[in-house]
Amino acid sequence: MNRWWLRPAVRAMAALALPLLVPAIITWLIWALPGDPASIICPPESCGGGAALAKRWNLHSGPWVFFTGWFSSAMMGDFGNSWRLQQGVPVAELLAEAIPSTMVLIGLALVPLAVGAGGAATRKLPARLDPLLQALGTIPAIVLALVGAAMVELTWGAHSFSTTGTLVRLAAGAVVLGIADGAFSGAVTGTRGLFTRERQQRYVGVAVLRGERTLSNTLPNLTPALAGQLRARTMHLLSGTVVVEVVLRINGLGDLLWGGTLLQDFGVVLAAATMFAALSAALLLLQAVAEIAVAVWVRRCPEVPGQVEAA
Amino acid sequence: MSARLRSASSGGASSGGVSSGGVSSGVSSSDASDSGASRGGAPSGGALRRGDLRSGELRGRALWLLLAASCLALFINWSLAAPEHLPVPILDQSHAGPLELWPFGADSRGRPLLAYATQGARVVALPAVVSGVVVAVFAILGGLLRAAGWSRTDAVIAGFSEVVSALPRMVVILVVALIVPRDLRGLLPLAVVWAVLAAPGAMDEAAALAHRLGGARFVEALRAHGFSSARIYLVHVVMLNLRPVVVRQAAEVMMQVVFLEIALSYLALAESEPSLTHLDNQHSWADLLSQGYPALVLDGVPTMHALALGLGLVAMVALMSHALERAARAR
Repeated sequence: MNRWWLRPAVRAMAALALPLLVPAIITWLIWALPGDPASIICPPESCGGGAALAKRWNLHSGPWVFFTGWFSSAMMGDFGNSWRLQQGVPVAELLAEAIPSTMVLIGLALVPLAVGAGGAATRKLPARLDPLLQALGTIPAIVLALVGAAMVELTWGAHSFSTTGTLVRLAAGAVVLGIADGAFSGAVTGTRGLFTRERQQRYVGVAVLRGERTLSNTLPNLTPALAGQLRARTMHLLSGTVVVEVVLRINGLGDLLWGGTLLQDFGVVLAAATMFAALSAALLLLQAVAEIAVAVWVRRCPEVPGQVEAA
Repeated sequence: MSARLRSASSGGASSGGVSSGGVSSGVSSSDASDSGASRGGAPSGGALRRGDLRSGELRGRALWLLLAASCLALFINWSLAAPEHLPVPILDQSHAGPLELWPFGADSRGRPLLAYATQGARVVALPAVVSGVVVAVFAILGGLLRAAGWSRTDAVIAGFSEVVSALPRMVVILVVALIVPRDLRGLLPLAVVWAVLAAPGAMDEAAALAHRLGGARFVEALRAHGFSSARIYLVHVVMLNLRPVVVRQAAEVMMQVVFLEIALSYLALAESEPSLTHLDNQHSWADLLSQGYPALVLDGVPTMHALALGLGLVAMVALMSHALERAARAR
């Protein structure tokens, strides 16, 4: 218990290492696999002139030169150019276009989750709805995304790519992300489980007898666990963005990653995966900060009137 | 009376719908019914009711098992019977409905949708089963390590879990799909990666269950009763107690792998690119969704039967996973 700082410190270190490790591991994997890296990234039947391509993509001097070159440029905001997806276009431009859409999508998708979790924590959402929510959560993202896309197309038609139409598609995507693959039901049952267990603690009963509210007593102790759940839910949503963005034609990070994978654009995939790692790192840092804040709050000596008078 | 109330409440707990809660309550109710029910000296009426509850529960469990086995048998049968290529188009029967071309109708070129269903089953059957087995093995390992009291592995598992959960699964899958050499491409490597990504959660849940069971003390207690190590670990720990978690995790991952295949194939179809999960001569269940989708948004496209078949197959996979979970649920 004395080493309360250990867990947040490990999280903070992991957060710092993650954006470095992800491209490093991908690069290492490319060289670890049997065969020439250039031919793995772009097979000879698709691309001719392997040696020239390897030189152009900086693959000819080994993994260390490639990785250090790519990473040092990336730190300056230069992710190189797209290899195949939009040949010659700077990847940084593609990322700058994609990241805001994904952030809005995730932000909107977190709204129903937060509402559901709040309802579960305050017992406004009855537990008897859980089977229904779980049945709803079984529906895969692809099916709900198709329903969402059909609704948008039927309602907005050709205007679905106007500014308002784009917002509608973002909203539809957020609803799909928030419900599909058990996102909403997981948030509700997870939060309810945490609060139910905590309410059974003796200190909560004592607090109620003292006339205090249950939520204000349980919330500080549950904040680290809730932060962990928030991180897990957000990662789940980020995973779902690939399907939702492609089906609903939202120009986001998931769509970019999918396009890069499909067309074997290693430059785009490396940058998009690193961006996902950076988002994950930000969430890890957020969780670490929450854990530190709660630890400091809990360890702060409370003012007990009797003690003050005795002193 | 108290024994009767206890048995009734335990029956209620085991038939509840919450998956994770169901696991823990199932274990405690199992303990209660094993010990309290047999030694409690309940009145005969209570014993009868317990017997009724138990036989009803067994019947329900058998029905779920039958349902899961039927779905699985159908999918395996389809995957074995799947043709190497789609049949030759017969334009006269294009868009034929199920009544015109039994049992599912035909596509726009008159090829039976049954061929799509069987080829789709072939694409997903083996990888889904392999991923389920991988997760089950990891879950059993997590539970056994906790039951054996090997606390040193906790930090390793926790670290593995942190690393694995630090990236969205789909991102890892796409990166793997990118770097796997083209001749090795298919659903199987992706399914194995998905299973490995899901493994820490399964190990964690199984370990938590073994911990609630008493961990090493539970094993010691059974040893004191003279049971052999193999019987303790395989029968008492794995079969009787870890089973619900192991089967549920495996069934969920099997379902997720099928849905992953459908999603990846659909996205590739949407971009008119070859799929990352199967050969070009094979067709996935995503083809059915792709063929059926225009019927939703365009007038006069008679492919609603393809959409219904695709959605029906998705529902069947979800039902099979749910049935497996219910059949293996703790008493």
